[in-house]
Amino acid sequence: MTSSPNAGDALRADFTAALSAGDRHKAIQAARNLTTAEARARHVSFLVGALGKTDLSALGLKKLRVALLSSFSIEFLRPHLILDAFLSGIQAEIYLAGFGQFQQEIRNPASGLYSFVPDVVILAVEGEVWLPQIYRRGFDHAMAGFAEVIKNFASELHSLIAAFRQHSTATLLVNNLAPPVRPQLGILDAQSEFGQRAGIAQANDQLAKVVRGSPGVLVVDYERVVSYHGAANWYDQRMHFYAGAPVSMSMLPKLAGEYMKFCRAVCGLAKKCLVVDLDNTLWGGVIGEDGLSGIRLDAVYPGNAFRAFQNEILNLQRRGVILAVASKNNVGEVQEVFNRHQHMILKPEHFSAMEVNWEPKSISLERIARKLNISLEHMVFADDNPAECAEVSRHLPMVTVIQLPKQPELYISALHENGWFDTISLSNEDQRRAGLYKQRDEAETLRETSTSLDDFLRGLEMEIVFAPVTASSLARSSQLTQKTNQLNTTTLRLNESDITSRMNDSTCSLTVVTVKDRFGDNGIVGLMIARFQARALEIEVFLLSCRVIGRSVETAMLAHLCDQALRRDAAELCGQIIPTAKNIPVRDVFERHGFAKLEESASGATTWRLDLTRQRVPWPQWIKVVDEEAFATKP
Amino acid sequence: MEEQVRRVMADILELDPKSIDTSTSKDSTSSWDSLGHINLVVALEQEFQVSFDVSEIESMLSFSDVLDTLERKLQA
Repeated sequence: MTSSPNAGDALRADFTAALSAGDRHKAIQAARNLTTAEARARHVSFLVGALGKTDLSALGLKKLRVALLSSFSIEFLRPHLILDAFLSGIQAEIYLAGFGQFQQEIRNPASGLYSFVPDVVILAVEGEVWLPQIYRRGFDHAMAGFAEVIKNFASELHSLIAAFRQHSTATLLVNNLAPPVRPQLGILDAQSEFGQRAGIAQANDQLAKVVRGSPGVLVVDYERVVSYHGAANWYDQRMHFYAGAPVSMSMLPKLAGEYMKFCRAVCGLAKKCLVVDLDNTLWGGVIGEDGLSGIRLDAVYPGNAFRAFQNEILNLQRRGVILAVASKNNVGEVQEVFNRHQHMILKPEHFSAMEVNWEPKSISLERIARKLNISLEHMVFADDNPAECAEVSRHLPMVTVIQLPKQPELYISALHENGWFDTISLSNEDQRRAGLYKQRDEAETLRETSTSLDDFLRGLEMEIVFAPVTASSLARSSQLTQKTNQLNTTTLRLNESDITSRMNDSTCSLTVVTVKDRFGDNGIVGLMIARFQARALEIEVFLLSCRVIGRSVETAMLAHLCDQALRRDAAELCGQIIPTAKNIPVRDVFERHGFAKLEESASGATTWRLDLTRQRVPWPQWIKVVDEEAFATKP
Repeated sequence: MEEQVRRVMADILELDPKSIDTSTSKDSTSSWDSLGHINLVVALEQEFQVSFDVSEIESMLSFSDVLDTLERKLQA
């Protein structure tokens, strides 16, 4: 043993102190450092024990109820899920169904699963349990093929999901199937169209098809997770036969990590912005010392590794992640690399903000956050220099820091290890997002040159479209409820099936808000869900992306709700503000528009009412409004 | 090694390290149930970078058993 057994003691003390002080970011940081230390298992046990014994309410974690249904002993996964959730800012409560009980739990409306009222349900069933005909008795079916058993599997899964949906609106995660490690036909398996692996591939296609047709249900690509880590490492035959736990204990953190990517996305905690360093991060060497021809960025090692890393970052940008630079350099030299180096894959237009100066990086990061109106908690910072990483960690513990390893060939794995940027839907808005933030920047510049706010708003030439939520805007609507934190009156997170059930409710009105201006189309940026109750229209969801903050779009949204209410002869428009740490900008929205406060609960939630027989919210003059009929006929 | 084993057992079974001695056994410790046993075995394997086979796992039923088994393992 090289390290002393006491190595973790200081980190444990940091963790305990931060926990009792209610400092979420410091506690998460200490826990993360401890889990990367040696002898992970006993630290995990310590951390989970401490979390279980502490009242976590002061930490402001998101609460998430996770149910695990599985065909094998899955209780060993529990501590890893709790810990990984905590590292992501989530307080997870876990329900474990007895192993092998998944069918009963789902089909029985009175089961423990449903009385637990989960937010996320994980269905982790091994392929052998779904399809023993393929896994164990491949020979019996080889001649006839597996078509029949796969068809039955798909319809069984379909009916299980349908049963689940009758009793729960939770997000359901379904593991797909990992193929048998040793096909019964040996090397012949790959030659036969009736091979076991071919059969499992078809079963996975069918599984994906069933899941795609079910809102709020998602595939966990278990097959990829197993093959990434290698089946030989993934399974532990000893624990399989001895304890009914086929997955190696050392792999359980990886499995928990995979599930946590989904949980973060459900909770709106996926990261939105990647801030990178330049020297020895995007290229080898230091531009200020090595010069344009001296930095390493070309087709041979290590330049090719840096190019591959740039390409990976570009892929993130295409997926909707906002890119920014925080570098200690002279601006001129950096511009020269971006403009003149023939092997640069990333171009200036891929970055929404660049901070190139000699100030501490924590200051640059804060400036980027302000400029792009992104919370620091949604930022990931990647740098090769341990000192810079430590400086950012110390001053901005809410920023997720990726300390890049010494070898550039390992950068890509380090970037992706935790799946920080993973989302569960990819809307058109995501792919255009980076461009949108650039537009926002340009609009900000216009704001600086306009003399009055009215001039600025008129100068934007805004056009706003109100349209009912439809199948094509369903994913974006759900995503908005999960991601919008600032201009969100109730911060109600809704998955696709929650929204679908409201769409089927005739008393509910669901409206998406699209905003265009002279700088471009911002896409769908707002969502309103309201319910007609007696003679009132009650607002359940009222949210607007911070992208279009400060342009009185919210006034137009309220005016639209007034129109809707008056059309159906409602006498009042009611709303609620549920305060969160983030939604300060929205707290006065009803008050500013003439609503009267009806009540305030002990937790600070307030209810507001506008008497439509006396007044209404007027339409702002500088916005051109397009109504939904016109929208519906647009190609 | 004894001290290190004591730390692992304390963490996994949520015991006070000072309370762990030769009288500590699976039968006399309520948190040392079958789940706790597997967790303890896995943590010991990580800590000492060894791998136990099932007969060894089944034989480690007290603090002294654990020390004996580990000693044999590390000498082999």
